[in-house]
Amino acid sequence: MRHHLDDIHVDEEENEINLTPMLDVVFIMLIFFIVTASFIKESGIDVNRPDAPVTESKPEEANILVMISSNDEIYIDRRLIDPRAVRANIERLHAENPEGSVVIQANKKSTNKVLVWVMDASRSAGVYNISIADQR
Amino acid sequence: MRRKHGSMGMEEEENEINLTPMLDVVFIMLIFFIVTATFIKEAGIQVERPDTVTADTQDDASILIAISAADEIWVDRQKRDPRAVRSIIERLHAENPKGSIVIQADEDSTNEMLVIVMEAAKAAGVTNVAIASDDG
Repeated sequence: MRHHLDDIHVDEEENEINLTPMLDVVFIMLIFFIVTASFIKESGIDVNRPDAPVTESKPEEANILVMISSNDEIYIDRRLIDPRAVRANIERLHAENPEGSVVIQANKKSTNKVLVWVMDASRSAGVYNISIADQR
Repeated sequence: MRRKHGSMGMEEEENEINLTPMLDVVFIMLIFFIVTATFIKEAGIQVERPDTVTADTQDDASILIAISAADEIWVDRQKRDPRAVRSIIERLHAENPKGSIVIQADEDSTNEMLVIVMEAAKAAGVTNVAIASDDG
């Protein structure tokens, strides 16, 4: 009788699977994925470009056209505008034509700083539809 | 004797911690981290980004393209030829079709390079393009 009971006991122990090695592997995978999880948050300005390609010319009367010359001067309506006055000018033109989007014509030699400045000014003026035209 | 043996067996069984619920939790965490893992392709250089006020956080950015002050294009930790950018974007975009592109253009880079990269992204079929900036 005692012998029989011992046999059953041994059988029960062998039937239980040892989960410890699997748990080790799963933990290591878990730690790997937590560590490699990239939480890079890039901040930036969306360039809204509809279906039309960049180089395609848009009807000028419908949009607020901002030009940036090769020496980083900003022109709106063919007038030289101080960088700090861009926002006010876009606000005024946007009030006249609320449907229009901002089209930036940047010269090849102009720098990115001025372009982003104009885009930022336009966004603070409430115009989020910005496209970049190419002088070609 | 028989009763004593039986009580010993009970104690042994109670001393073993049941790992199954913990294993369930760990597996669910593991699956969560595998599913949410996004692999951002970093550009590989640091650029001086223009300051803006209205920048949005780009949550789904997966490809970062940097343009240095000397107008060099960096993608995936390597300097690239402007003509090769399109095929590189196509390849990286195929790996993660939902991701968008963030162009990290230096303040002093020219807009010629920016437009080249934007056209390459458009030609590669990526419509969601943003220009990186420093927030606030």
